[in-house]
Amino acid sequence: MDVEKVFHMKGGVGDTSYFNNSSVQKSVAEKMKDITLDAIEQMYVTLRPRNLGIADLGCSSGSNALLYIKRMVGTVEKAAQSVQQAAPEFRVCLNDLPTNDFNTVFQALPDLYQELKKGRNNDAPSVYVAAYPGNFYGRLFPENSLHFVYSFSSLHWLSRVPPGIYDEQGMLLNRKSIYITKNSPTEVCEAYAKQFRQDFSLFLKCRSEEVVTGGRMVLVLTGRSSPDFYCKDNIFAWELLYQSFNILVSKGKVEEEKVDSYDVHYYGPSREEIEDEVRTEGSFKLDRVEMLKKETDCTSSGAAIAKTVRAVQESMLSHHFGEAMLDELFDEYGTLLDREMAKEAVTFIDIALVLTRL
Amino acid sequence: MSQRALQKRIISATISAMDEAVADSLRKTLPAQTMGIGIADLGCSSGPNTLMVISEIINKIYETCSQMGIPLPELRVSLNDLPGNDFNGIFMLLPEFYRNLEKENGVGPEGCFISGVAGSFYGRLFPKMSLHFVHSSSSLHWLSQVPPALCTKAGKHLNKGKIYISKTSPPSVLKAYLSQFQTDFFAFLRSRAAEMVAGGGMLLSFMGRSSPDAAAEVGSHQWELLSQALMSMVLERRGSTLSMPPTTPHAEEVANIVEEEGSFIINHLQGFEIDWDGGPTNNDDDNNNNNVVNGFENLSRGRRVAKTVRAVVESMVESHFGRDIMDELFRRYGELVDQYFSKTRAKHINLVLSVTRINSCY
Repeated sequence: MDVEKVFHMKGGVGDTSYFNNSSVQKSVAEKMKDITLDAIEQMYVTLRPRNLGIADLGCSSGSNALLYIKRMVGTVEKAAQSVQQAAPEFRVCLNDLPTNDFNTVFQALPDLYQELKKGRNNDAPSVYVAAYPGNFYGRLFPENSLHFVYSFSSLHWLSRVPPGIYDEQGMLLNRKSIYITKNSPTEVCEAYAKQFRQDFSLFLKCRSEEVVTGGRMVLVLTGRSSPDFYCKDNIFAWELLYQSFNILVSKGKVEEEKVDSYDVHYYGPSREEIEDEVRTEGSFKLDRVEMLKKETDCTSSGAAIAKTVRAVQESMLSHHFGEAMLDELFDEYGTLLDREMAKEAVTFIDIALVLTRL
Repeated sequence: MSQRALQKRIISATISAMDEAVADSLRKTLPAQTMGIGIADLGCSSGPNTLMVISEIINKIYETCSQMGIPLPELRVSLNDLPGNDFNGIFMLLPEFYRNLEKENGVGPEGCFISGVAGSFYGRLFPKMSLHFVHSSSSLHWLSQVPPALCTKAGKHLNKGKIYISKTSPPSVLKAYLSQFQTDFFAFLRSRAAEMVAGGGMLLSFMGRSSPDAAAEVGSHQWELLSQALMSMVLERRGSTLSMPPTTPHAEEVANIVEEEGSFIINHLQGFEIDWDGGPTNNDDDNNNNNVVNGFENLSRGRRVAKTVRAVVESMVESHFGRDIMDELFRRYGELVDQYFSKTRAKHINLVLSVTRINSCY
């Protein structure tokens, strides 16, 4: 299955769309707000570009993309004032795979421009937004055209399901699961880790050609808190999804082989793996690494989390299983989540990185 | 699909003018440029025509650079249309487009970057001095709004009974349309002037008219017939409040505005005729293309025009009169056009304007 051709967030603005179900991602970004705005301010004060290139990698189709733009423009304008410089022209580049629903983002643009003009006379900021469809595991932007890059909740998506999880006969080594579990053989874990290293390294290399010296990157991805592959905070959500599949299999709603042949193109790295790769690739230095812990509590809703995962996974699932079973699958998933959260708090880890181009 | 066929013919007819404009702007700007070349297609729409245009532009740039003996610079291509345009459709075609680019021209993934820009070209879309070549086809005859002067304060509609300019429209209607075109086209030029480098070229193609008399032109008769079709459905009261945005300026009006705005010199300004439906199709080429799949070619010419016009104005007419009448309306319209064709050869005039950005003190 060609990930690039199939993978996308659920488009439009319906009930199950990413647009209306990306609030988990939003709470990640809220935490990231200070880190991000600090980083762009520091970059601006150092480089003071007249024409400022900003890129959002994995912008998806939600309202988050435009909200971030507004915040960043505001921060840079203030910074420009503080150094007595005219605000720059903003070139905002929104990237996602060609299968992303960009139309929904574009339809919300006129409102953004209106908001940027509100209360201003002739000094509204000059903001030019463009969509750059493409795979960020490759070149996307002209050389030396960017000063600030951010990517929230996208870099844990691999370019493909690691080929190393199949043996030479094409048999799946990772049976009875859709991702790494405590029973996964080492070769499987290492195949996932290797794919991540290759992808992340390529990502850094491509960005190094596009980001100017002194430019900054702020990257957030889900990860795990220990070097141990079987770390619960990372594999837990996938294990529950697999259990939801099993419930549907036992009801005869889904074939067992279909579930056995499904694997996610995902990896949650450890802090050490990230640091190693940045050092090895060599074009950026790591200014900052933050482990952001998110714990569920008694107010957390399994159904809400299930909806979030659905908006993200739906395209891959419906490609493999068809659409008919999705509602029931995520009902079961929500119920399982509620049950687990009632036993003990579930932890999700996000790793936030700030890098500077050397 | 039928609207695209017409636009495709227009684009094909302007290709040599476009090639010349591209080569010309390159020769004027290339020695000075260091940051790659910026190209924009304004009103790019969606579908196969969109990529056909930029493919042609890229090929021409490649060819010109070879002739000049210089390496191909980095290409930044921007596709612009209003936020309601189907950009997703274009973007899905991009991965294959990039692959073909590499195969045919050896342009690798670091050589060409295509982006989509949503917004009205009657305002700024791009950063200052970022464009070397601008193209726009079949878009500038759409005004930014229906001329506000067409409704007096009392709400009495000046162009009562008509949906466009016709022989019996009062002079104030003609004036309102012209005035709106002047404002819009001036704003278009002013925005592009800020965005283009000195020596950059622009090729614009849009519906116009050959006669200075706004009401005499046969091209606008197309709208007159649509008006008649509406009337015939006993919708007189509602019919009188709909005014269509498209306008057909005269070449002289266009030249005056360019001169007044002052940032561009005109290389050439020509008109060429094109049939309302893109022309009769007798040859095998047309029979082999996609239109045959839709049965488009087998329709009467009147019905082809009706389909073309419907694709363009449907949303406007529907929001005014509702969906129920649409099929019947365009059936009657097709008949009226067939009758008209049996008496006259009905054509648009398509204006092609090539300009160069002069040095400025911006």
